[in-house]
This record gives sequence, C-alpha cells and structure tokens, in this order.
Amino acid sequence: MPIGNLDVPVIGKNVVIAVLVQSHILFAAFIIGAVLIAATSEYLGMVTKQNNYERFARNLARFVVLLFASGAALAITFVLALVTLFPVFFSILQNIFFWVFLVEAFMFLGQIIIVYAWYNVWDKLAYRKSLHVVFGFIAGFFGLMAMTMIDAVASFMLTPAEVTSEASLVARSFLNQTMVPLNMHRFVGNFSYAGFLIAGWAGWRYLRTTREDDREYYDWMGHFGLLWGFGFLIIQPVIGYGYLKGIRESAPESFNTIMLGDKAWLFNLLVIWIAVLSIASTAYFVHKLRFAIEPMETLRKLAVGALGFTALFTVLNIIPTNASLIPQIGLVFGQGEETEIPLGSMYPWKYIGLIGLMLVGFFIVALYLRASATGFHWGRASRWSQYALMACAFFVVLTMVTMGYTRETARRVDNDPGYLINGCVKLDQSIVKEGCPTIPITEGKGG
Amino acid sequence: MELALLLQQGSTGDPTAIGIFRFFAAFFLIITIYSSSLGFTYWISKEE
Repeated sequence: MPIGNLDVPVIGKNVVIAVLVQSHILFAAFIIGAVLIAATSEYLGMVTKQNNYERFARNLARFVVLLFASGAALAITFVLALVTLFPVFFSILQNIFFWVFLVEAFMFLGQIIIVYAWYNVWDKLAYRKSLHVVFGFIAGFFGLMAMTMIDAVASFMLTPAEVTSEASLVARSFLNQTMVPLNMHRFVGNFSYAGFLIAGWAGWRYLRTTREDDREYYDWMGHFGLLWGFGFLIIQPVIGYGYLKGIRESAPESFNTIMLGDKAWLFNLLVIWIAVLSIASTAYFVHKLRFAIEPMETLRKLAVGALGFTALFTVLNIIPTNASLIPQIGLVFGQGEETEIPLGSMYPWKYIGLIGLMLVGFFIVALYLRASATGFHWGRASRWSQYALMACAFFVVLTMVTMGYTRETARRVDNDPGYLINGCVKLDQSIVKEGCPTIPITEGKGG
Repeated sequence: MELALLLQQGSTGDPTAIGIFRFFAAFFLIITIYSSSLGFTYWISKEE
C-alpha cells in the first residue's frame, strides 16, 4: 500500500499539481526566452548604436529580475506539493533521475546569480559592454540547461524506456525517445512565447501612452517582439512533427488518443489558437508595411496575398477529422467517428495546411525583414494593429496551457488506468509489475 | 473497485460533471495566479 494517499477537497490533488506546474511554466518559459531576447537586444544595441535596443534590454532585464520571485515561489510550492501528494512517485523519479535533479538545481542557482549580477552591473560595465552582454547569454544558457534537465524527466514520464543496467541508464532514461524533440520544441517555444508577450505588452503601452517618444518606442517594441514571436512560431510545425513522431513510435496509444481519438479536440483547439496567432501576425505585418520609409507597394501587395494564403491554410488545419468533436461532453454529431468531414483528414490536408503555413510564414517574414532594412516611421501604427498584438499575447498563453494539458493527458489512454509514468506507475502511485521500465532499478536498489 | 480507478473518478480526465468542473477550475486558477503575479510584478516595477 503506498504511503500518503492524501487528497485535496473539491479540486482534487491532480488539479493542484496541474495548476502549480502550468503557472510555473508560464513564468519559467517567459524568463528563459526573455533573458536571451534581452541579451540579444543588448548586443544589437552595442553593434548598431540604436538606443531602442539598449532601453528595451535593460527594461526587460529589470522585469525578469522581479518576475523571478513569482516563478521560483511556484516552483518550490510545486515540489512541496509533489512530495506531499505523490511521495512514492517522487521517490521513484529521484531514484532514476537523482543526478538530473541535482544538476537542474545548480543550473537554477546559476541562473539566479547571473541574472541578478547581469542587471546590477549594467552601469558598472557600461564601458565593457561585450563582457556585460556575455553575462546575459550565460544567464540564458543556465536557464536552458535547467529546462533541459526537467525536460528529460517530463519526456520520460510519457515515453519511458526500459532501464536494464547502470550502463544504459543515461541513454535510456535521460535520452529517452522524446527528450530531444521535446527540448527543441520548448527551446524554440520560449522565444516565440516571450516574443508574443512582449509584443502584446508593447501594444497595450502604445495605446496608453501620451508621449510621442514613448509611442515611437512602444511601436518599435511591438514590431521587435512580434518578429521573435512569429519568427520562431513558424519553425514549430517541423519540430512538433518530430516530437509527435517520437510519441507515435514509443507510445502509440498516447499518440492515437491525442491525435485521432477522444482527446483529438485538444489539437483542434490548439490549431485554432495558432490560426489566430498566424492571421493576427500576418495582418500586423501587412499593416506595418504601409509605414516603410521607402514606399514598397509591390511588397505590400505580396504580403496581402500571403495573408490570404495564411487564412486558407489555417482553415485546412482547423477542420475536424470527423463529427465526434468533444465526446467527453457529448458534442458528437451524425454518426460520430463514422461521419468523416471533407478536407478534415490528417493526410494530406493537415500536412498541406501545416507545411503551407510554414512556407507562407517564411515568405511574409522575409518580405517584412526586407522592408525593415530601410526602416519604418514609428509611432503611426493604428489602434487595430495594436489590438492584433494584444490578441497574440492572449492566445499564446492559451496555446501554452493547451499544449501542457495535451502532453499530460496523453498518459490517460481511456483512463483505464491513467499513469504518472506511462505504462509503469499508476495514478495511485502503484507500480505496474509487467513491462514496467523502472522495475529493474527499483527492485535492484531494494525499491 | 481498484484504487487507481477510484482516484481517477471525477478527475480532470473523466467526463463527469465534477471532472468538467475541475478542468475549468484548474484553468481559472492558472490564469488567475498568472495574471495577478504579472500585475503585481508590473506594479512593483513602476518607477514613479
């Protein structure tokens, strides 16, 4: 009998963990992305001598330093909740991933120390700017390493491999089948997520401010943030495909559940959010091209065409495969799974939609960067373009939350039973004896 | 009934009324914690 089967009234203990982890990730991903964006911006400011980059980098670094408290508080509360509510599961994870957790803790410590030092010596190192920029990138590196460690654990929970000896421990646990694609997915996602949030914040400030110089600055900041946000978003379908391929090969039942089965609605939801992000970003770029210092009518007409294609490809992604939309709440039409919807199948329509979205995305970003090279008249953006940026910030948060839920719920195929470590440790923390990858380690160590 | 199944009853992955309630309760809590922490951080970061 497992020890400590505590439950939490009303919301249940699963929700407690989900809330703490999801909230923490929303801060952690932003901090990792923002530190690297700020360090890059500081470097660009050093090279180009444009004041906007330096002002932006310093303000963002200051915000990250202050935001660290919330992210760290949620992290430690989550660990406390996990130890209290799932003690057996946590001890199993510790058994397999002791060194990973240890390295993660020190990377986290390194990140805190360097981020604080980076912000505090900003003026002191004003004449040694290169060194100061390096501080920012080192802080970002520590954050990425901490993320990598925790990704090993998170990916192992979905696609554990059988660890049969000490020699195969690292290869089969740390480098399990979905670890690398998950890490790449999150690495790129950090930039995209932080970029969209920065753009949304800039949009909000642009609409609120009354000073002309601030309007110009926030207009520029919205453009800069969106370049990061959308620029990295369009890489995600390829990486996401690699991640899903890993899940399909090593946990086919989970893949079927989230892509084709009862939880496929989560992916429909996800592509709706991505559709909003893509259309809002492209519309912003089209709008912005009107304010290029050097008039670029042809470029703008091409961008309008790209907006049309973006809308077309997002529609292809959104169309559900069959009429069983959300079976959990009875949202099923016609014959349910038997009723196939035209243009809704994964092959070829979803592939065409995703690849098309990427190609059009690269095309519009290239057009926009071409126009950026000659510069824009800042401070003249319309109200609607700023609403588009704010919509991006809102929908990117929904994207993050939806993706987090999708990955975690993939271990609950038919809920019979649900797993903490897929196919190995059940929700009541009991170990499945047959085929459980952790058996040799736990039994070998007396677990 | 097996304990594993009992624990899952009414959870977020279960299509019962309490499961749906918990799904939205979790979402509401995440957004609340997130937005209030961001708002708090903005408030303490304002230079006035």
